[in-house]
Amino acid sequence: MDATKNNKSKLKLAIYWGAACGGCCVSVLDVHEHLYDIVAAADLVFWPIALDTKYKDVEAMEDDFIDITLFNGAVRNSENEHMAHLLRQKSKILVAYGSCAHLGGIPGLANLSDKKELFNRVYLESESTMNSEQIFPQTKTEVKEGILELPEFYNDVRALNQVTDVDFYIPGCPPTSDRLLEVFTAIVSGSELPPKGSVIGAQMKPLCDECERKKSDKKQVKKFLRPWEVIDDGETCFIEQGLICLGPATRAGCGYRCIKGNAPCRGCYGPTPDIIDPGAKMMSAIATAIDSNDPDEILEIIDSIEDPAGTFYRVSVPAALFRKKIVENNVEVKIT
Amino acid sequence: MEEKRIGVYVCWCGTNIAMMVDVKDVSKEMEKLPGVVLAKNYKYMCSDPGQDMIIKDIKKYNLDRIVVAACSPRIHEITFRNALENAGLNPYMLQMANISEQDSWVHTDRIEATRKAKSLVAAAIRRVIHHKPLKKRIVNVHPNTLIIGGGVAGMSAALELSEAGKKSFLIEKSDQLGGTAAKLKLSFPYLNDVVNDISNLIKRVEKSEHIQVILNAEVQEIHGFIGNFNGIVKTTDEKEYSIEFGNTIVATGLKSFDAGKLKNYGYWKYSEVITSIEFELLVKQGVVVNKKGIVPENIAIIHCAGSRNENYNNYCSRTCCMSALKYANQLRNLLPDANIFEMYADMRTFGRGCEELYTSTSRKGIMFLMFDQRAELPLIKEDERGNGVVIEFKELLSGEEIQVPADLVILMVGMEAHENAKSVSHLSGISMDSNGFFIEKHPKLDPVATTTDGVYVVGSCQAPKDIPDSVSQAKAAVARILATILRGTVEVEVTTAEINADICCGCQFCISVCPYGANSFDAANDVSVVNEVLCKGCGTCATACPSGAISTKHFTDEQILSQIEGLMAKVHELEELETN
Repeated sequence: MDATKNNKSKLKLAIYWGAACGGCCVSVLDVHEHLYDIVAAADLVFWPIALDTKYKDVEAMEDDFIDITLFNGAVRNSENEHMAHLLRQKSKILVAYGSCAHLGGIPGLANLSDKKELFNRVYLESESTMNSEQIFPQTKTEVKEGILELPEFYNDVRALNQVTDVDFYIPGCPPTSDRLLEVFTAIVSGSELPPKGSVIGAQMKPLCDECERKKSDKKQVKKFLRPWEVIDDGETCFIEQGLICLGPATRAGCGYRCIKGNAPCRGCYGPTPDIIDPGAKMMSAIATAIDSNDPDEILEIIDSIEDPAGTFYRVSVPAALFRKKIVENNVEVKIT
Repeated sequence: MEEKRIGVYVCWCGTNIAMMVDVKDVSKEMEKLPGVVLAKNYKYMCSDPGQDMIIKDIKKYNLDRIVVAACSPRIHEITFRNALENAGLNPYMLQMANISEQDSWVHTDRIEATRKAKSLVAAAIRRVIHHKPLKKRIVNVHPNTLIIGGGVAGMSAALELSEAGKKSFLIEKSDQLGGTAAKLKLSFPYLNDVVNDISNLIKRVEKSEHIQVILNAEVQEIHGFIGNFNGIVKTTDEKEYSIEFGNTIVATGLKSFDAGKLKNYGYWKYSEVITSIEFELLVKQGVVVNKKGIVPENIAIIHCAGSRNENYNNYCSRTCCMSALKYANQLRNLLPDANIFEMYADMRTFGRGCEELYTSTSRKGIMFLMFDQRAELPLIKEDERGNGVVIEFKELLSGEEIQVPADLVILMVGMEAHENAKSVSHLSGISMDSNGFFIEKHPKLDPVATTTDGVYVVGSCQAPKDIPDSVSQAKAAVARILATILRGTVEVEVTTAEINADICCGCQFCISVCPYGANSFDAANDVSVVNEVLCKGCGTCATACPSGAISTKHFTDEQILSQIEGLMAKVHELEELETN
């Protein structure tokens, strides 16, 4: 990378949020005093959570002006999409930062509904809403002062690489600050970058490789349980205790903090390199753990899985093969 | 990535395909797809000129991948793989598109069938892009053979191996060799005395230095794979043998149908009613009496006892009609004045000499009566006059309800699979049909092999059989086994599962799902390992693996998804795609 070779000029770093919760931006702040190291090595040229740089300032930048942009959040609306394209144009390296930009993330679960259903729920049906005039957000609203504009809310949520070209992915919900620092330090020190399209700041092997819980080939489940239904012995593989843990289908790198906190893995670090559809992979694995040969009992055991889409595809619905609920010619195909 | 050079060949199969599919249009369209160097169509691709065309093109145009659109790969995949090999290309760089069974044969609309053919061929083209050369794998063959069952089939196999100087372990559950055949006096259709034949067979087995007979014994465990099995045999007095062998012959024989199940025949109720097995014992002793010790005057032989009946067994036991005729002859000789009734449902005397046996028997003053197997079975009742029993039924040829008096009734009980067939099937890794008989690899072309390489099924454990068929099967299996022993090595499946140790995290989902016991856990390295020789490439573990660490060679996700992509997309969309 040119900028790293030129020691005189500091790196230009941008951080942006699309459809996000803010956690990814906070994870950058979570490097604590290392933030000084970051700003010593890089100028933050755009970071809405912390700086007052405007979109028009970004638009005014030359192409490739920014060395690295960490784009967190999914693409939910026209504003997210516009910024994705804009930052791609202005950045040498565009990084999908965090689960939402990487795979669609939690906002991606909305792909199990379409825009109409979502708007009805939020603006009409929700228990705290009174909207007898049935007013929905409009992209353009005329008031006497002029025209007010809102971004267009899309019918579905997309991961960053479904909108624009992405160089690298740093997974996690949010990525751990340690991994971010490692990646940042590597870039600043001029280390050779991995091939374009690589997931960085995570490992090849799944989480189970780091996990210290005891595991065996005895994965036989008569009923799938939710964490509150189990008195966890603290040392046996969660799956062998009847809990669905996405550890074996998820990259290590997070330091298995959920497991250390006695909670099964939710899969935020995304699939290992050769997995095309993470949820499907985990579902077929879980299916082999069902301890029955009786079709009725098997259905009963499967029914004990609460919220399968939200369990197996918690952060990856937009990146899944099915991507979203199909709504076409008024024929609805239900995914869950 | 280097450029792919694909050759596409569309077969007419005479008119079989060409009649319903516009093969010229298919090859013309396919030529436009990325990576396709040439696409041709030809009358018979499988013929020598057809194969030569592929071989020459591979050399001339430096093709590295071939798609043949023709019939089912089950028929000609091996043919075209060989053609690739002859041209110096790895045989696995071939993909077939089945435009015969899956297209021309099942459609009536030529336009639609042609469109479907294009989809199928495009799918094969997208798939073959991702094919990788695979290496043949060869393992050594242990020259010893395990034979389970010391009946006529098992003994014949052991002797045949012995003739070739090859050792076998002959494991017999009971305390003597001979099986069902040892219970017989005469054989059909020539009514030869088999007592001597069988006892000679037993003597030869016992004398052979190459046969180790273990009586009162059962096989407890079998591990390994073709060429390299090991097992444990245990006798009833707790003696244990640990043995090594390269092949297994399953010859566990049959069980007789339980005559007590037949409600109408009162097997347990009437001392006049016996089974064919019991009758064989009587004639062997030379005294024919019923269970009361009375020499019978009226003897009824009832066919199909428990066979060909939806309430019992649906299948025909194949030998009972001939045995019943044999009994009529034996009875006529022993009791010249007795009345003998053959009560049959259908006379099934196929095979050399058997119809002749029927004809000659019918001339010996024997009454042949026919009953309807699909209606209520004949009913055996106590004779009110106190002379044994009477059999009531509607005689089909005359159409009359009749009563047959009998002081001896012989029920021709059919053959059934052993109760322990299931455990033998688990032990040896072979499959059973719904009746408990073991399933051969191919019903026509590979009738003694099974889907587990190195395991063969012979005799009545595979289906009801007479002595010559059992012996033929035994010798056929030995021919197969000797071929592998002589060669010294065998080729084993190459499309096996493969575990990427850089990704495997040791979660062990893959261990218990393997039906062949091919996967195990390497605790030292915290990864699963696949024994490629045991692996059949069924893909179950690849499906179970949540980490994407396991793939099945030649059936990778990438290959299958590319095939689907080719199937779903329109031709003009595919033209835009890249080949890597």
